[in-house]
Amino acid sequence: MKRFSQLAMPYIVWCVVLLLLPMLLIAFYSVTDDGNGIVSFSLTLRHFTKFFTDPDFLLILWRSLKIAFKTTVICVVLAYPVAYFISSNDDKTRNMLVLIITLPTWINMLVRTYAWVGLLSNDGLISKIFSALGIGSGELLYTEGAVLLGMVYNLIPFMILQINTSLCKMDKSLLEAASDLGANGFQTFWRVTFPLSLPGVISGISLVFLPAVSSFFIPKLLGGGKYFLIGNVIENQFITVGEWNFGSAISIIMAAVMMLSMYLVRKIEKVNAQGDRD
Amino acid sequence: MKKNKHYFGKFFMILSLIFFYLPIVFVVLFSFNSSKSLTAFKGFSMKWYEKIFTSSNMMEALTTTVLVAIVATFVSTVVGTLAAVGLSKSKKIVRDLVLYINDFPIMNPEIVTAIGLMLFFVTLGIERGLGTMMLAHIAFCIPYVILSIMPKIRSLDPNLADAAMDLGASPWQALTKVIVPEIAPGIFSGALIAFTMSFDDFVISYFVTGRGVKNLSIMIYTMSKRVNPTINAVSTLIVAVITAGLIIVNIMPIVKEKSEAKRRKKAEEAGLDPDNIEPNNDGMKKLMAAAVIAIVGVIAIIFHGNGKGEFEGQVLHIYMPGEYLGETTISDFENATGAKVVVDEFDSNEQMYIKVANGDKYDLLIPSDYMVERLMQEERLKPLDQSKLKCWDNILTDCTNLAYDPGNVYSVPYMWGTVGICYDKTKVSLEDLEKDGFGIFNDPKYKNQLYLYDSERDEFMVALKYLGYSMNTDDPKELKEAYEWLLDVAENMGAEIVTDEIIDNMAQGRLPLGLMYSGDATYVLAENEDMGYFMPESGTNIWVDAMVIPENAENTELAYEFINYISSYDAAYGISEYVGYTSPNEEVFDEMSSEGGLFYGIDSYVPRSGNPNDEVFHYNEDTRKIISEYWSKVKVAASNAK
Repeated sequence: MKRFSQLAMPYIVWCVVLLLLPMLLIAFYSVTDDGNGIVSFSLTLRHFTKFFTDPDFLLILWRSLKIAFKTTVICVVLAYPVAYFISSNDDKTRNMLVLIITLPTWINMLVRTYAWVGLLSNDGLISKIFSALGIGSGELLYTEGAVLLGMVYNLIPFMILQINTSLCKMDKSLLEAASDLGANGFQTFWRVTFPLSLPGVISGISLVFLPAVSSFFIPKLLGGGKYFLIGNVIENQFITVGEWNFGSAISIIMAAVMMLSMYLVRKIEKVNAQGDRD
Repeated sequence: MKKNKHYFGKFFMILSLIFFYLPIVFVVLFSFNSSKSLTAFKGFSMKWYEKIFTSSNMMEALTTTVLVAIVATFVSTVVGTLAAVGLSKSKKIVRDLVLYINDFPIMNPEIVTAIGLMLFFVTLGIERGLGTMMLAHIAFCIPYVILSIMPKIRSLDPNLADAAMDLGASPWQALTKVIVPEIAPGIFSGALIAFTMSFDDFVISYFVTGRGVKNLSIMIYTMSKRVNPTINAVSTLIVAVITAGLIIVNIMPIVKEKSEAKRRKKAEEAGLDPDNIEPNNDGMKKLMAAAVIAIVGVIAIIFHGNGKGEFEGQVLHIYMPGEYLGETTISDFENATGAKVVVDEFDSNEQMYIKVANGDKYDLLIPSDYMVERLMQEERLKPLDQSKLKCWDNILTDCTNLAYDPGNVYSVPYMWGTVGICYDKTKVSLEDLEKDGFGIFNDPKYKNQLYLYDSERDEFMVALKYLGYSMNTDDPKELKEAYEWLLDVAENMGAEIVTDEIIDNMAQGRLPLGLMYSGDATYVLAENEDMGYFMPESGTNIWVDAMVIPENAENTELAYEFINYISSYDAAYGISEYVGYTSPNEEVFDEMSSEGGLFYGIDSYVPRSGNPNDEVFHYNEDTRKIISEYWSKVKVAASNAK
């Protein structure tokens, strides 16, 4: 079977060159100084100190995490009923509904985000509806709410699909067993359905939280010029400031924070699962 | 109870469908709007579609997107399939390690993958462009292909290939006739994911591209700063194509089933065993043929030259600020010379500098005065061969022979103007402006009412001029003072820090006060008569944007041709008319600004002369570093202020 294993050789080389090496380069840039040259460099932790000693940068990181957290919570709360409804249909309707949910995600994210600019702007449709209903005054566009909306809009389909998949995989006879044993509708849901759908929720969270933390064009398009997230800081360092070493350091910090938060989510899930079994 | 829940679910489902489809309906609807507005529908029109098909930029972005997506899908599917099969037979440790690395692009934030690849290309000195974009797309597509094939391989009987070979099949036959058909659904869905990922990608393409190569996402991103309904038209086309594609994909299995049934029937009628004849590959062959035709077509469009002329078949790469050309400037030049022009746009001089300093090759750049000086000092420019220039007689002496390039050894003026305050005459009093000057940006009366322009040198000019210093100061104390003043503005005034978005926003009168280049102000003043333009007595910046030829230019002859063309009356008029910036062409300038001219009576079109406080920018590396550091802190502080 040796012959078949050789089929992977080109990709192993490719992996090292185009996936591993770039990551190592970011790490290298983040701890070196001066110049974007590989020949003359000096090691330093200056960029990390700069980030962690400046309250403004920390605040931006905190804000990015906060808005990503809000996005995730809203996505779970809104996506769950939709996914639950989809999964309660027969196969044919279900596939259709899944297709309808996925269709918009096939359209360019920028396009879909840009569409909200018109809808949310001062005399746009949404403001008109709002003022007709007598709720809310002032601007909708270029606010934190607009950024949050943009994120939820772009990311919620992933959450719906993940939860739906795990709900569909669930053994339906468990529900019958629960109600046979005297559980009411709510108990069945809370003690059986929900825990069994948790893996879907968890993978949904990683599909929503990670892109939300690092997004930079949603805040740029919908947040106007005053809503800076960590992704914008990184983009700024690379595209207009030219401090690639500092930019690389921020990227490393962001990646680390995200890994840590995903690790925590998984851990909580494990503890929960254990708790249920005990 | 159950019924209730059903209604609740249905209600939720419908609500979420409205939420998902509202923006799409909106995009489609407004792509047919006859006016530029994104909020009021003024009547049916196809003009934005015409714009797409007549804009070579747009068509190129479309072909680039499709070409990259097809190549990336093809390569990543083949490599991914082979890798997945190979890995399944590899040692566990190798497999786990490779799959771990394989997960990088999936688990990492996109922007991290993007800058990793960018650093990789720049460090190795690979020129960024179409090639790097393809490599990057293949790199992030393969992991998804492998991910969708792996489960299929795991569920495969591991002895299948051995059995095939024992029965006399060559390894190649075992692979293509036995294994691949078994995992085909995984390969197919992997290819589909790869295609959509590549087609939609923005972040990674944005960082790894160069030399004017744009895909649709990048195009939309650069266009989105101005109100631009062409975006809606492109989007509608994408929506239409995707919907059609999905319908075909969903109907194909049904059609296939039917044709299969027909074939079986025919076979039965002919008295053959239906299971024993070669399956009909016509459909597959047709699909392949269609794909080949599509690829050939795309390549043909990309390489086809247009017109005839001296420079037939040559390409001119220009890197210049966005929204800085007339409607037909480029196409007229292309028709006259037969050459092809690729325009790449930047937001700021600094952004341009980073790309050029990292080796991106262009034939012509259009930076501002101080950046010309910087590029000169760093020996990144070619001295101009004056014998090839036929433009000096046409150009106003006000903008030649300035301190940044004495004798115009390196540069030919493209546009010139001032920096000033654009304001809504109905909301901001002229008295306040005259009293405060640039200090109006720190006047609590106008809190939450103003725009700052995201450009370090212009904002520091404002602060330094307000404080009564020279904007070319290198005194650290004065710079610090200016920084503290800006920080104060950022923290207390609720200013929006913008780039070109300011133009349409002020033309619509969204906020009443902003720092603006005179040329943009001319556009705003012409669109909205409530708007005015003010230059404080304490002085402002007189600037010139100029054409220069970089040291590593490949086609200097064509660059000279372009410089001469731009300086001609027709081209200069076309640009000035369309963008509102002041032309250095004497004839155009006089005509525009005199009675009956297009911009007659608009203050911002005529740069001020005679104020001794007005200055031209100088480049100084040390102050630039200080200012740059300060400005990024000011921006961060502004976004943290609530």
